[in-house]
Amino acid sequence: MSPQPLPSLKGFAVTLRQIFRKPITQEYPEYKRPVYPRFRGRHRLNLHDNGLEKCVGCSLCAAACPADCIRVVPAENTPQNRVSPGERYARIYEINMSRCIFCGYCELACPFDAITLGNEYELSEYHRDDQIYTKEMLLAPPIKQVPVADRERYDTPEPVWKTES
Amino acid sequence: MSAPAVELVTVNVDGREVQVPKGTGMIETALAAGVEIPVFCYEPRLGPPVGACRMCLCEVEGMPKLQAACTLTAQDGMELRSAQTSAKAAEGQNAVLEFILLNHPLDCPDCDKGGECPLQDLTFRWGPSNTRMHFPKRTFEKPIPISPTISLDRERCILCYRCTRFSEGVSEDLQLVAAHRGAQSIITTFEEEPYRAHFSGNVTELCPVGALLPSTYRFRARPWEIDNTPTVCGLCPVGCNTWATTREGKVQRILSRNHPEVDDGWLCDKGRFTFDHLRAEDRLREPLVRVRRRGFEAVGYDDAVREVARGLREAGGSVAIAFSGGETVEQASALARLVRQGLGGDAAILPDDLDPAVDAFRAPLSAIRDAEICLVLGDEPVMERAPIVDLWLRAARRAGAEVVTVGPAGSVSTPPGSAAATSAELAGGGGSDELRDAGRRLREASRVAIVWSGDDHDSGRRAATLAASLGLGDGSGLYVLPRSPNGRGVAQAWYEAGEGRGFDPSGEEELGALIVSGDEAAYDPRVAQLAERARFVFATSMFTGDHTLWAHVVAPGTSYLERDGTVVNLEGRAQRQRRVVDPPHLDELELLARVGTELGVPIAPWAAEATVDDHAELAPRAQLEAPPEFAPAASTNGAGPGLELVVYRPLFSGPGVERVESLAFQRPAPEIELAHADAQARGIATGDTVTVGLNGSGRALRAAVRRKLRPGVARIAAEHADGLGSHVEVTKA
Amino acid sequence: MTPSGLHEVLLRHADERDLTKRAEYEAVGGYRALTTALRTDPGELVESLLASGLRGRGGAGFPMGRKASFIPKPDQTPNPIYLTVNADESEPGTFKDRELMLRIPHAVIEGIVITCHAIGAETAFVYLRGEYATEFDVMAAALDEAHEAGYVGPGIAGTDTNVTIVIHRGAGAYICGEETALLESLEGKRGQPRSKPPFPAISGVYASPTLINNVETIATVPTIVGMGGEEYAKLGVENSAGTRLFSLSGNVVKGGNYELELGTPLRELIYDLGGGIPDGRALKAVIPGGSSVPVLTADEVDTALDFDAMAQAGTMLGSGAVIVIDERACMVQLGLRVAQFYMHESCGKCTPCREGTRWMVQILRKLEAGEAEQGELDLLLNVCDRILGNCLCPLGDAAAMPIASYVAKFREEYQRHIDEGGCPFGGESSLEGVVAPVDQHHAHLRGQIEVPIHA
Repeated sequence: MSPQPLPSLKGFAVTLRQIFRKPITQEYPEYKRPVYPRFRGRHRLNLHDNGLEKCVGCSLCAAACPADCIRVVPAENTPQNRVSPGERYARIYEINMSRCIFCGYCELACPFDAITLGNEYELSEYHRDDQIYTKEMLLAPPIKQVPVADRERYDTPEPVWKTES
Repeated sequence: MSAPAVELVTVNVDGREVQVPKGTGMIETALAAGVEIPVFCYEPRLGPPVGACRMCLCEVEGMPKLQAACTLTAQDGMELRSAQTSAKAAEGQNAVLEFILLNHPLDCPDCDKGGECPLQDLTFRWGPSNTRMHFPKRTFEKPIPISPTISLDRERCILCYRCTRFSEGVSEDLQLVAAHRGAQSIITTFEEEPYRAHFSGNVTELCPVGALLPSTYRFRARPWEIDNTPTVCGLCPVGCNTWATTREGKVQRILSRNHPEVDDGWLCDKGRFTFDHLRAEDRLREPLVRVRRRGFEAVGYDDAVREVARGLREAGGSVAIAFSGGETVEQASALARLVRQGLGGDAAILPDDLDPAVDAFRAPLSAIRDAEICLVLGDEPVMERAPIVDLWLRAARRAGAEVVTVGPAGSVSTPPGSAAATSAELAGGGGSDELRDAGRRLREASRVAIVWSGDDHDSGRRAATLAASLGLGDGSGLYVLPRSPNGRGVAQAWYEAGEGRGFDPSGEEELGALIVSGDEAAYDPRVAQLAERARFVFATSMFTGDHTLWAHVVAPGTSYLERDGTVVNLEGRAQRQRRVVDPPHLDELELLARVGTELGVPIAPWAAEATVDDHAELAPRAQLEAPPEFAPAASTNGAGPGLELVVYRPLFSGPGVERVESLAFQRPAPEIELAHADAQARGIATGDTVTVGLNGSGRALRAAVRRKLRPGVARIAAEHADGLGSHVEVTKA
Repeated sequence: MTPSGLHEVLLRHADERDLTKRAEYEAVGGYRALTTALRTDPGELVESLLASGLRGRGGAGFPMGRKASFIPKPDQTPNPIYLTVNADESEPGTFKDRELMLRIPHAVIEGIVITCHAIGAETAFVYLRGEYATEFDVMAAALDEAHEAGYVGPGIAGTDTNVTIVIHRGAGAYICGEETALLESLEGKRGQPRSKPPFPAISGVYASPTLINNVETIATVPTIVGMGGEEYAKLGVENSAGTRLFSLSGNVVKGGNYELELGTPLRELIYDLGGGIPDGRALKAVIPGGSSVPVLTADEVDTALDFDAMAQAGTMLGSGAVIVIDERACMVQLGLRVAQFYMHESCGKCTPCREGTRWMVQILRKLEAGEAEQGELDLLLNVCDRILGNCLCPLGDAAAMPIASYVAKFREEYQRHIDEGGCPFGGESSLEGVVAPVDQHHAHLRGQIEVPIHA
């Protein structure tokens, strides 16, 4: 027994008390905690209703990116190969997810709302090469879904600059 | 030359007093006072201001209306208030920008100019932040390729008329014009023909918006994704200063970099668009060594160096070099030292071998513009050999100078190949009345420019003698146009590596080894003949070609965009060429250094630190030693049956240009130029198909009748002259 | 005798005789001024022109003598001196020059030769409006006659004066009536104004000193030489000497050219000479100097026809084209039609005019259709304001000034177009006789209707 039994007993009492409480550990990945609606996760490239890509490959996102993780190589639309409205489209659009800091500047810079940040945060890979997301990956809906907290409760109103322009 | 006294006037710009010479443009005056006045249409290199865009509106004391500052000149006591201090001027500029933007599409994300666009910058600084125009914008079909290298977007055009003014008043090709009027005005090419001119690409740089853009740069990169490297064009002896734009290690475009003494900021289409040859499919990427009965085999550099060293060593001192003239001084020097110091050889084919006497009359190219009289001698069209020189000559003519061209198509008509004889006559005051007259005016003028554009082997010496006899002083200049871009530097390097000229290897005896440096040399039929007599041939070249049939070792070569070094242009100005992109293999200098190690000649594998600035100065004139005596000269071409054929090398030719698809339209059409009298005698009109040849055997070419051409002379581009002799018969097909 | 109010100086005798014939012209004293003038010192001639107070009749009203005195003397310039006569009369409502050329071509020629002598020019260009086909024939015939008689050509009337006259026909652009655009067109270039300075007096056609004057100004020169500068100055009022041809058109009974002493009230021209407005309709507005000047309302009809009085009323005498507008006219429609004209005729060189005129038309069209919103009237005024004074040549001002004046003086009518969502006239308005509808022009272009080019 320790020379001072009282503090030890106090400690055991705490332990004893906790044993009967519900654990706060969440069993990830079985359980996924909902993220806030505005949580900035994996990017998506959006399409127009008619199926054309919104992105025209202007590289403004690449210019805005502080981590320099976006690479855009544009090309010209042709009648045979129309990818986006207008004259140019992104032939290559890559985001290096291992460098991205999810600041959302690319979304702000985009003049066509072509790139937006989604909620998905599960972006681990076994190889660094796989961290480079191609245009096809970004255009496709994410494979893994993330629960999102109630929008009514947690989302802020649309910003003025978005609703009025 | 005593400078005339300059009258200084005091002008007040935004409350700042500044003294400038009387008559200085107001934009420059304001700049001198530290005030920037925004402009679109103003560009002093395009001639007098037009005041079309109204962007530079300023308030001038004593004038009720706002004035376009670009059309004003500095007068004593003038008080100018720019938009920085005058609300009225700021309102005027805001109004102009609002008007400009009314019908300007806001497709900046699509537009290649986005990010480096004056309209964007000025709108950001002076323009309205919102549009008040809620009507459909004016639309046009777009983009329109006005040539394979330039595309035009009329919606973006703000009608500053810079391009048409360039076409009309600088390059004088008169092909770009404005059509229709008012809001429907458009820029178009004359009769909607493709814009085919040597300097067409400059309009893409002049355009202040994204209306005229190079098709070769279309959707390639954004301003924030690129690197611009200052370098010097290595495609003709002018050595225009350029910016090379690269993205992700690839050259994407070439822009001019204004060196006011060399190019005045203009660049020809060859310099601008030839960069694509770097990506040619038939580029060599590895050293090739000939293996008995198996042809070529790609090997590593170690094997190649060993093989070259062996071949050269076994030559036993009988070694010759054939230079291209495009090598840097460092490369040429390495080769020359290898041969002259390491192997004991003394033979070289030099593309240019100018007499150093010409350096006594050295002057910057810009001196041509200020000349009172210009003399152009020789058979080769200046435009095809050193295009910028032709622009300077045009500038001189516009400034009031007399331009006397002497040659088969000149204002003074002389037979082909007679430049040497003509120069002797001019110097001696003899010759035809016209020539004597020209000689008198040349002697009377205090500022003379002489341009020699011929292929005589001693043109440098003859030109210097002519210049000396005409008494060319300060302010005058002599420009002997070399055949190759760095011909002067290469020759200099050869001379410095040994004693004197050495000898020309065109004898009949067998040769131990031949070094062929570069594609131009490899294409030279003279070199091919030489190779037949050589036991060992080592060639460096960028592309595969005929020489791969006769060379024993071929090492991949580099382009002027892939190497560091010094080049000497036609003025004698040493300029720095920079490595813009890495070659896909070892560059020649490194290879030579390794061969040098094998042979015991120390060669630095890289060029020394930059020896010259980005804007290279011209070295001072050399002292003229005793002017060389005139050797009697006769016309090189003799009489013969039919028409005498003048073969010139067109600008758009050579191994690089031939591999650029977008420049194919610029290459000379298969046509033969005929004098008016000859054409009439044969019943030929421009556009007719004619048979050119001798004794009935001949080829079909298109005829082009030229009034300026001397009767009895026909002119043809070298690439269509294969197999034609010095005289041809031309008949209507 | 002339009807009351008329004061025919230029056109005297033109009613009685066919002055297109040289003999007839000489019979009434023609070419006498020429022989006198050629024996007078050029300097004296210019003095006499200065003394006459003759102001340019083309529109700007710049004193002709002063303009002539800016031309360097022949020994002061290495280049030849040219005279250019601006006969590119295209201002809507103006038809006085054609009358002069059709009826007294010899007076124009005589004026040219005298002016050439005064400024030391040996070549004169007449830049004739392309559509003036008959005028060209008449002028060319008169020139031939004058040539035969030795009034034009080398050694005129026994003196050593040589004058060559070249009639150059334009190709149908309003802008070529602007002096520098005229010079460009004359040189064979695209008809676009040049920036001034240098003024044509220093560097005009072919970069040589050039005097440019309107046909009427030139045609007045023989009269001035005949009666003496001081005597001529007694005609008219202060600052506006002499007589002028006024082209009366629009909703009047008797339209046409009237030569009046300057200073005559506008009312006299419209009501006494012009016979007032047909069918007893009320006067609504008057454009006193061609379509490019601000409008006058019915209340201002007593303004005198001289330079100063017009300036005081906020408008200009311009080219002397008085267009009468009656109560049937919708001012928005008129504004639209005028703006359309200037949009069509803008040369496209400078930004405010090229883009601004188009914008004006777009706004006016919207107004007329009743689709405009509150505030767009101010936008229109602001656009006019932003064009005014910012352009390279006067065409931009000429487009903005009238529109701004229509809105200012008939604001209520404009406002009703917005408030009521359409034209208050409800389709009953009419610009008949004032301007040709734009459709007619287009239909003509399509060849659907034949419009006689000359009567």
